[in-house]
Amino acid sequence: MSFAVNLRDVTLRYGESEALADVNLTLEAGKIYGLLGRNGAGKTSLLSLLAAFRRPTSGEVLVGGEPVWENAPIVSRVALVREGGDFDDSDSVKSAISTGELRPSFDAAYALKLADKFELPLKKKVRELSRGKRSVLAAITGLAARAELTMFDEVHLGMDAPTRDAFYKELLAEYMDRPHTVVMSTHLIDEVANYLEEVVIVDRGRVLVHDEVEAFQGRGATLTGPADKVDAVAAGLEVLAEQRLGGTKSATVAALDGEVRARAADAGLEIGPVGLQDLFIHLTDPERTGA
Amino acid sequence: MSELTLTNRRFALGVGIFTDCLKYFAWWIVAGVIAAIAIPLIVGQWADVNMSGWYHAGNVAKIWTAILAGGFLYSLMPTLVAVGVTRREIAGAMGVFGLLWVLAFALLTLAGFLAEHTYYDLLGWSQGIDQETPMPLETYGEVFAFILPYPLTYAVYFTGGALIGAGAYHSDAGWFMFIPVIPVGLALDDLLSKVDPWGPGWLVHFVTGRAEFSPWVAAAVAVAVLAFGVWATRRLIVNSPIRGKAA
Repeated sequence: MSFAVNLRDVTLRYGESEALADVNLTLEAGKIYGLLGRNGAGKTSLLSLLAAFRRPTSGEVLVGGEPVWENAPIVSRVALVREGGDFDDSDSVKSAISTGELRPSFDAAYALKLADKFELPLKKKVRELSRGKRSVLAAITGLAARAELTMFDEVHLGMDAPTRDAFYKELLAEYMDRPHTVVMSTHLIDEVANYLEEVVIVDRGRVLVHDEVEAFQGRGATLTGPADKVDAVAAGLEVLAEQRLGGTKSATVAALDGEVRARAADAGLEIGPVGLQDLFIHLTDPERTGA
Repeated sequence: MSELTLTNRRFALGVGIFTDCLKYFAWWIVAGVIAAIAIPLIVGQWADVNMSGWYHAGNVAKIWTAILAGGFLYSLMPTLVAVGVTRREIAGAMGVFGLLWVLAFALLTLAGFLAEHTYYDLLGWSQGIDQETPMPLETYGEVFAFILPYPLTYAVYFTGGALIGAGAYHSDAGWFMFIPVIPVGLALDDLLSKVDPWGPGWLVHFVTGRAEFSPWVAAAVAVAVLAFGVWATRRLIVNSPIRGKAA
């Protein structure tokens, strides 16, 4: 069983400032979601509500169909892993891992197997770990939680590229083995794009976009071909990004209707999918007012 | 923790914190016991001893108990919530931890006082229990009577420390909160030790019959103070958000 998520008219205030405003969001169970947003957009606040780290100022947060706040059967199967993890720094790595056993579903053997795979020194104190190793420890506790809703909040930021790649693969393998709901909050958008099924973009405390990745990427396109022909077809369209190499040009456009698509095909241009990151940058541009 | 279920989790967690705490501070406890025994013996080489080493050890233990309760609660809150423990369970686990800690330290203090009474007797020393005007404990019965309020005293200090720890976490003032709290707390402790009938000394005075009030009244007041402290601490814990992490 994996958990669905429902937020109904959720508002979260920190004093006078509003971190989330009237958020309504439903995440179906058993999918991998990407949670995107600029710094301070409200991603961490949103995840904090789902893990009952915080209580909303108003509105309702349901996980697995039940209110999540102080609900032991639910929160024991929800894992929010924050960057660097939430550990007692004076603990040894082994002890920090064993703290996870407070979850009835925690898989200690799997955690130790991952610790071996990622070369975590079990006897070292948590405070003695490098930022990268600390991120690995956090990721391991999240994976081994065997939770029904697992959320990674920038947890992989401290990892180097090979470790991140190994983490994504392990995450996917764990997901395939035991389907559950996964939310990944990240700035490394293109790096995780292939793993995501749906994307949620939060901007200034509101949900700007919630869509399947393919449908979302279909909102734009990349036109590649001779520069003059690309310029001709892209004229009048909203260009998100451009790249030029000699006489060849690549332009990412925000929207591509049937007529423009036909013109591009007639001109011999190659039409490719738009990068998630380019669309994200475009949609969260402060000059824009909405999706 | 292989047999852990949601039903027994708060108890297992409380016992786990207690045993971890004992292991972590084992050498400190051993050092305290050695100091309580050795210091009077060393002083006795040059002068007559008329003060109990365990009287001072007990005073240190109650302050330490308060610091421990507050420090553990403050540092464990985010770690435990992050592994899916509810705040109510944390409050329950702290209760179990506190109960075990108080009992263990009360027993240790009792054993220390009784053993000390025996060898002080053999050495011809008097087991005085007041710094300014030493009041010797003449018999084992008096030792028991003097120790009787210690569990309540430790419990009051544990709860006071936990209340401060929960308040510090709830307020997000962090360790800066202790800049006023520590001197005020110590001054209050000093004051309470000296002023009848309100100090931790009040329990001693009541229970040993040195005060005019009934020991039952004293016990009832102590239980009322404890109940209020537990209620306030639990309320703070249950309503505390887990803070964002520093970038």
